[in-house]
Amino acid sequence: MSTEVERVRPMGRWTEFRREAGRSLIAVVIALVVAFVVVLFTSKAPFDALGTLLTAPLGRPRTIGLWIDDAAKLTVTGLAFSLVFQARQFSMGVQGQVYIGGLFATYVAVSPIGQTWLGIPLGILAAMVAGGIYGFLPGIAKARLGANEIVSSLMLNYIAIDIVNYLVRVQLGAPGMLYTAPFPATSVYPALVPNTRIDLGLIFAIIAVLAVWFALYRTSWGLKLRLVGHNARFAAYAGIRSSVIMVSAMTASGALGGLLGSMFVQGQIFGKLNVLFEGNLAFEGILVAIVARSRPLAVPFVALAYGYLRQGAQLMNIRTDVPAEVIGIVTALIIILVSSTFKFPGKAFFARLLGMRPDVPLSATAGEARQ
Amino acid sequence: MALLEAVNIGKVYPGGVVANDGVNLSVDKGEVHAVVGENGAGKSTLMKILFGVEHPDAGQVLLDGKPVSFANPREAIDAGIGMVFQHFSLVPSFSVYENVVMGAEPHSGVRFDRRTAIAEVAALSEKFHLAVDPLPATGSLPVGQQQRVEILKALYRNARILILDEPTAVLAPQEVQELFVAIRSLVAQGRTVIFIAHKLPEVLEISDTITVMRQGQSVGRVKTRDVTEQELATMMVGREVVLRIDRSQVKAGAVTCEVDKLRLMDARGNAVCSDLSFKVRSGEILGLVGVEGNGQSDVISAIAGTRSVEGGAIKLDGRDIVPLSVLQRRQRGIAGIPEDRLAQGLAVGASVAENLVSTRLTDKRFVRSGLLDLRAIKAQAQALIEKFSIRVSGPQAPVATLSGGNMQKVVVARELAEQPKLLLVAQPTRGVDLGATQFIWKTIANARDAGTAVLLTSADLSELLALSDRLLVFYRGKIVAAFRNSEAVNPETLGTYMLGLRAQTPDEMREALA
Amino acid sequence: MTQLIGAILSFAFYQTVIRTTTPLLLATLGGLIADLSGALNVALEGQMLIGCLTAVIVSVYTPWYVAVLAALLVGGVLGLLMAFFALKMRADIILVGFAINILASGGTVFVLALATGGDKGTSINLPSKAVPAIDLGFLDAIPGIGPILTGLFSGHSVLSWVAALLVIGIWYFLYRTPWGLWLRGVGEYPAAPEAAGIPVNAVRTWSLLVSGALAGLGGAQLAMFNFVGFTRDMTAGRGFIALGAVLLGARHPFGALLAALLFGAFDGLTTILPGLFDWVPPEIIHMTPFIVTILALVLFSIRAQRLLALRGAH
Repeated sequence: MSTEVERVRPMGRWTEFRREAGRSLIAVVIALVVAFVVVLFTSKAPFDALGTLLTAPLGRPRTIGLWIDDAAKLTVTGLAFSLVFQARQFSMGVQGQVYIGGLFATYVAVSPIGQTWLGIPLGILAAMVAGGIYGFLPGIAKARLGANEIVSSLMLNYIAIDIVNYLVRVQLGAPGMLYTAPFPATSVYPALVPNTRIDLGLIFAIIAVLAVWFALYRTSWGLKLRLVGHNARFAAYAGIRSSVIMVSAMTASGALGGLLGSMFVQGQIFGKLNVLFEGNLAFEGILVAIVARSRPLAVPFVALAYGYLRQGAQLMNIRTDVPAEVIGIVTALIIILVSSTFKFPGKAFFARLLGMRPDVPLSATAGEARQ
Repeated sequence: MALLEAVNIGKVYPGGVVANDGVNLSVDKGEVHAVVGENGAGKSTLMKILFGVEHPDAGQVLLDGKPVSFANPREAIDAGIGMVFQHFSLVPSFSVYENVVMGAEPHSGVRFDRRTAIAEVAALSEKFHLAVDPLPATGSLPVGQQQRVEILKALYRNARILILDEPTAVLAPQEVQELFVAIRSLVAQGRTVIFIAHKLPEVLEISDTITVMRQGQSVGRVKTRDVTEQELATMMVGREVVLRIDRSQVKAGAVTCEVDKLRLMDARGNAVCSDLSFKVRSGEILGLVGVEGNGQSDVISAIAGTRSVEGGAIKLDGRDIVPLSVLQRRQRGIAGIPEDRLAQGLAVGASVAENLVSTRLTDKRFVRSGLLDLRAIKAQAQALIEKFSIRVSGPQAPVATLSGGNMQKVVVARELAEQPKLLLVAQPTRGVDLGATQFIWKTIANARDAGTAVLLTSADLSELLALSDRLLVFYRGKIVAAFRNSEAVNPETLGTYMLGLRAQTPDEMREALA
Repeated sequence: MTQLIGAILSFAFYQTVIRTTTPLLLATLGGLIADLSGALNVALEGQMLIGCLTAVIVSVYTPWYVAVLAALLVGGVLGLLMAFFALKMRADIILVGFAINILASGGTVFVLALATGGDKGTSINLPSKAVPAIDLGFLDAIPGIGPILTGLFSGHSVLSWVAALLVIGIWYFLYRTPWGLWLRGVGEYPAAPEAAGIPVNAVRTWSLLVSGALAGLGGAQLAMFNFVGFTRDMTAGRGFIALGAVLLGARHPFGALLAALLFGAFDGLTTILPGLFDWVPPEIIHMTPFIVTILALVLFSIRAQRLLALRGAH
């Protein structure tokens, strides 16, 4: 017979969602406030700048297009990071996977195949396979050798950039140019909305979201991945091959990175391979992933919101005297705040607002968990 | 006047857990004062408050009659209170003397004066009968010596009061006697010792005064010579405690698992065990007895498949399973309750349902073509929650919200959902309250009655004696004694074998080994 | 080939290597201290970059040594920030580190544009100063070995000497003082120093502060000696190579020195090889430190694994 009084808290998914969403929202607000303050002090026309930041993307179809396209790309990199974060690995290699993926998509595009209808599907396939392999490398190093995946993946990023730079300069690029000739139309994603940058990539982003969600929550592979992320020792004890899971997570993530590479070089945005085409977008995926708590279904929404800010910053840069880089401050702050367990004043008030019961004091049998 | 007093201490942890509620403690100078209570009674919390690791929400601590409040352990140490925790706080690669003096190093200017440190440690070690060599790396020492290093740490800082948190948990009976010699020597030299325990025979032997705690409160303070074990147990749980389950009524059946000339090695290439052989039969509980580190846990890990085997065979129903993976062994009918449920037995961040299905991902009822059948998984979880009386709000609740006893029930439910052929159990009721303990014992006994072969290890001799049908004593990786469980087998007997003081001859063992 | 060997064995090359090694060595020492205390500092890159900009801007208005000090202080503040969020607010230290890198990458361009009145690429319009080189030309006078001594010791940046002294100082601190013992204990097994009353979080905070300060100092050297002035993203991965050097140097100050020298040598090769061998692509040379880091990582992991493999699966 049990002598204890049990704590029975309704920990449904809705309560959890509200709490996590609340925390993310507050972090974003704080970050924006800080950015506002910075702009206030450094701009000659701060309110113009802020106004542009917040409203400009909606101004014209073209800018809306830029926003949506950017969000699609942010979604894919956000998914890539979400996968590895769910497995509790810190592979930072998405950037390198994007470059390698873009490189192989380019090879398809400039080959004879690129001039047929196979240009797009094979380009994507080549990009994803190449990206997957590139993601596999730090994974296998970690699984077989225990090599720190943060360091190895970061090194591979720089190596990938150098390889692409070299190949463009020496082999692929138009002579003396840092970019290739434009790809044939059959190798470039058609625009979905004419005269904007929104292209087939958007569809792929949406498919990717659904695919990653399904894989994580409806397949045994996904369950194993999440269990490994929760407690790798337990997973081993339960008979799950943690190393296989870790490697496959990083490989799958790499394939997503490769897809993003194809979305860049074969998308309306470029339609060719330039050096440094990726513009550090891959790392923004970290922000998207952690604000979305690595949940695939939340990623596109965060990507949309963040993409909006990025567009706003670009337009603010063009039309006012505030450099777009101010958004770096926002990004950094959001990452830091969301990953902290900060307690802000009035927490109890908010807790009640969001529908969470204060915990009922228990008998000391629950104290055993403390000992 | 008492040397150290705690008056009306209250402590509530964030999350609402009431660890201490109006606790009183009064320790006189020069006495050995035991604080007893079962897991969750609040003893460790009280000690942490005395040592400055935690701060009380209510009440006061008085030292030499004056109120004190320690913001951190450093202040407590400066005031003359030293604490030896159950889990040692020793840096493995540092030498003994480095560990002892860390934080209070003798130094000339900025230079760490190693020679003086070594000399001082050696002197202390002699003075208090705590023999240990100051130079080797602490990680390489056996547990009993590591404990001495811990005690030396406190003595190096001139602790007047020494708090020992379950010091005998990892010691065999004779090592406990050595510890008691050291304690008596400390007291003879004017120190005061507080120790936390729940092994009543030891408490009765060494202490002068006992404070009993139960469910966060102090329920009594008695002089040791005035009280009996039964009275103490009653104070601790509030009702009469029956400590044994029924022996198996059925004669044990066919051999389920046979370990044959097993050889296991450790990281340094030393043999953990070699030429080890024994059998477990269906319908019996075989208890592996031994001080921690003598090979029992390694054997269990080897059978489970979480550890490599360097020689010999492990046969399940006659077939060698050594080449098989953990998953394959589970598919053949091996289930296990690991020593540390938080580190190894559960994914605390995942839901109860996810934990319950995690070992059955190749079962077609739950997973087909790689896809999860969420409805079936939820239904199974619901059924198991009811069957094992797990107190939880629902199958989707994260395991983190459960108490220790209920977490262990999740582990037990998962492993015993299907009748396993062989059940490996390690420390099944560590950190589990009495009610859940009884439930778990009954569950294991039921499994045995239904034909499962059970292999059990535990640091708790009374648990082994309560549950096992047969007992094997391990010493240095070898079996030195085998018994059929009966009233004649008691902790003292087992203790002599556990420490290698005696060993049975092969003839004496044959009957119980068969 | 002989031309190459001649170039490498010259004093000029040696001087180049010392120059390229210095920022890397400072960052590596910073990474070492943080790592040994159990707090991995992946923000070295960002701290160094911000150190670069700080040094450049401050030096416009003040003497060079004030600018160097400013870079050091700013780096230290960034380290403190990391400590605050990672230790007090329980954010994941890797994520906080990357956040600082992102902050640095964008923030430095932002501030640069403000300071130069619109130039987001370089600080070429700003009259920033340089760290002086120490001229020991008088050693020439010594009979016989004079010129050799001059070649070896003269002409290095003040900060290079500081870095060399720091290697010894940090070694002494780690292995000959009590606080070094504390730091190493905190990194290896924090429960032990905590039980001994050592404030674990305070130790880690100090180590992150020092780590950031050293990275900032490395930034000062980079932007006031190796180059004079700021260019966007001028650290180009040095902060991450520093992490590799910590690993390669077996987490020991002398190892860190050797590893940093090795990588500095590669960096130096980048400047002389194109001159001698047109056919070695600069990108390939640029890649080499990263490749070497991965190889080092792999080799060390294999070694560590061999030691662990005997310990049995737990």
